[in-house]
Amino acid sequence: MEGKRSSSQRSDLLRKIREFTRSILDDLSIGKSPVVLIDRFRNYCTDNTGNCCCSSDLSKGKEILTLQRECHARRLDVLLRVLLIVQQLLQENRHGSKRDIYYMHPSVFSDQSVVDRAINDICILLQCSRHNLNVVSVGKGLVMGWLRFLEAGKKFDCINGPNTAYPVPVHVEEVKDIVSVAQYILVVEKESVFQRLANDKFCNKNRCIVITVSTYFVQPSVKINFLTMFFCQGRGYPDIPTRRFLRLLVEKLHLHVYCLVDCDPYGFDILTTYRFGSMQMAYDAKFLRVPEIEWLGAFPSDSEKYGLPEPCLLPLTAEDPELLSDKRKTEAILHRCYLQQELLHWRLELELMLQRGVKFEIEALSVHSLSFLSENYIPSKIQVAEGV
Amino acid sequence: MADLCRSSTFFSDQNLCNADIIGSSEARARIEVAVLNFLKILNSPSPAISDLPLISRRWSNSRVNRGLLTEVSCIFLSHSFCTRSLMRPNAAKAFVRVWKVVEMCFQILVQEKRVTQRELFYKLLCSSPQYFTCQLQVNRTIQDVVALLRCSRYSLGIMASSRGAVTGRLLLQAFISETVDCSACGSSGHAISGDMNLLERMVMKTDARYIIVVEKHAIFQRLAEDRVFNQIPSILITAKGYPDIATRFLLYRMSRAFPDLPILALVDWNPAGLAILCTFKFGSIGMGLEAYRYACNVKWLGLRGDDLQLIPEESLIPLKPRDLQIAKSLKSSEILEENYRNELEVMVQSGRRAEIEALYFRGYNFLGKYIAKKIVQANYV
Repeated sequence: MEGKRSSSQRSDLLRKIREFTRSILDDLSIGKSPVVLIDRFRNYCTDNTGNCCCSSDLSKGKEILTLQRECHARRLDVLLRVLLIVQQLLQENRHGSKRDIYYMHPSVFSDQSVVDRAINDICILLQCSRHNLNVVSVGKGLVMGWLRFLEAGKKFDCINGPNTAYPVPVHVEEVKDIVSVAQYILVVEKESVFQRLANDKFCNKNRCIVITVSTYFVQPSVKINFLTMFFCQGRGYPDIPTRRFLRLLVEKLHLHVYCLVDCDPYGFDILTTYRFGSMQMAYDAKFLRVPEIEWLGAFPSDSEKYGLPEPCLLPLTAEDPELLSDKRKTEAILHRCYLQQELLHWRLELELMLQRGVKFEIEALSVHSLSFLSENYIPSKIQVAEGV
Repeated sequence: MADLCRSSTFFSDQNLCNADIIGSSEARARIEVAVLNFLKILNSPSPAISDLPLISRRWSNSRVNRGLLTEVSCIFLSHSFCTRSLMRPNAAKAFVRVWKVVEMCFQILVQEKRVTQRELFYKLLCSSPQYFTCQLQVNRTIQDVVALLRCSRYSLGIMASSRGAVTGRLLLQAFISETVDCSACGSSGHAISGDMNLLERMVMKTDARYIIVVEKHAIFQRLAEDRVFNQIPSILITAKGYPDIATRFLLYRMSRAFPDLPILALVDWNPAGLAILCTFKFGSIGMGLEAYRYACNVKWLGLRGDDLQLIPEESLIPLKPRDLQIAKSLKSSEILEENYRNELEVMVQSGRRAEIEALYFRGYNFLGKYIAKKIVQANYV
């Protein structure tokens, strides 16, 4: 889909929008109540027999929207209004964010989630990706290493500074002329790990491409007074442009992809997001997931193997007032169908994590030596993975 | 150290306490001096365990410096000390924590390496588990060490990061690298380096007439993509939320290098947006001693109270509890000028806030037109 010329896609979509609207009008004109069918998609379920068809990209049933039900009527109303906005974006070849769209009819769109669902529905109906509708989000990805590409005519010469972070382009469909002498791609969950690798000049000795998402932010502490600010780190769930970019690199360069996440349920969930896709974007999983990605680390078994000191092993939370506790989250992940039949190695490690009741972060590996990650851990894991 | 400070009141800005950006050898020297002083007193005829004099980061030590010949006011920290003392039973651990962090930083500096705050946490957790239990303690202790040694965290070997980005009519040249044209950096803009040394030596050239500080990443991206900086010759800068020191430093450098360029802020109409504007404008005591210095004469372009007529009632959304906390903090700050104070009051009374995106009600082109009109009318405060 990335290769097609954008203008033909726009005209295709505009045509589909006209056809869809026309079909509704035709129904209304003959006194028939329109019915809109929206395919349902999912990446995983809790089926453990191996008979579910989650791994195929087929839809798993349809949602039937009719005007007979008030909630459906409202949903269709929102859908049509968003569709009108999308049509204008496409006609004028402009871009807008989901938030921008919300504010165009705030009285009808009672909440952002209502708009988000309409956009997903439209993507499913028109059988396209969100960026095809000219709906964009901010880019959070960072890349460094042995890579060169063009984006909308601008040169990104990462090879010039292989230890410098470059932003991953937001309009991935504009990325061309990808050239690389890398031997593999390394995806790291957190910006701090990326920083560590950049600081150690990892890409000087290792010919690879490193990708992450920015996770740092400044948080004011209001307890004392707003003037106290701390530099914090959030979770490394990848954004859509980063996932598309990674997929594009894999398609063009045919390199192995390795993923380095924290040894905790969220790290693992992030790994599965890269590999299988996220539930919200399940309809587009085919173009967002990277099934080739391999779990490089950190494994629960690494804590023994690399002699991680005890204090670094933090307990898995059993209760959490706001979110799912670590234990509940791990159990939920273990129920996912894709861990039942395949990826037994992943399953075993996850079960070990639950059994031991501890988790640890990648940074803990630097305790004995700051260069341990760059000089020992990652290279030796890669060697094993590449079968060298 | 305290004696030295008191004795040299030669310059009028002697009251200002700085966190210097120094090299690794000087940082190590300062650590060695601190240790030697401690040992000297311990070894003296009347031995004592001296307290650690840290520049107090409490409200009570903050002062407002109202610009006389300039329009820049800023918050600064004066020479009031708080102490970390081994002798006070509840504070003994805090005293030890400072020395532990000093020790760790010294080791890292000797190795000519750098460490992230999280890595530092794990090292301290393992070496001294009875003193360090969480990241917040480490962060606070780092701020203590900065206040003790009067140098930036980066000088102590802690890695620097920045979330900032800049785009528009600006040419940047870092030391020996090639010149970067920020207008050709795409919709993400040029990422601002976390390295203050690098930023200090950056050579900047511009033909812009304005500098626009943008609160949110999404708005920055939109304006960069629409190349608003060509329609209104300007430089756009963002920190994607509350600003980090590097972004503020770059803005500060720009304000010094291009003193004729008005600096205009585009923030959401809510207490957090105003707090962000104020941090750029007056500085912040937070993040240790280093953060207050880089105050700039930032003016509030929008969104302001009188812009609310441009958007429908439904676009205003309720204030969050955190907004109210921030409002309370801002109100209690004596540095907040009257018209800002009035706007804040309106926000709190109405219980509502408005995002910049609400302007999209008027169409896609509207944001650019709104900014242009306000600038041309000099409608900023």
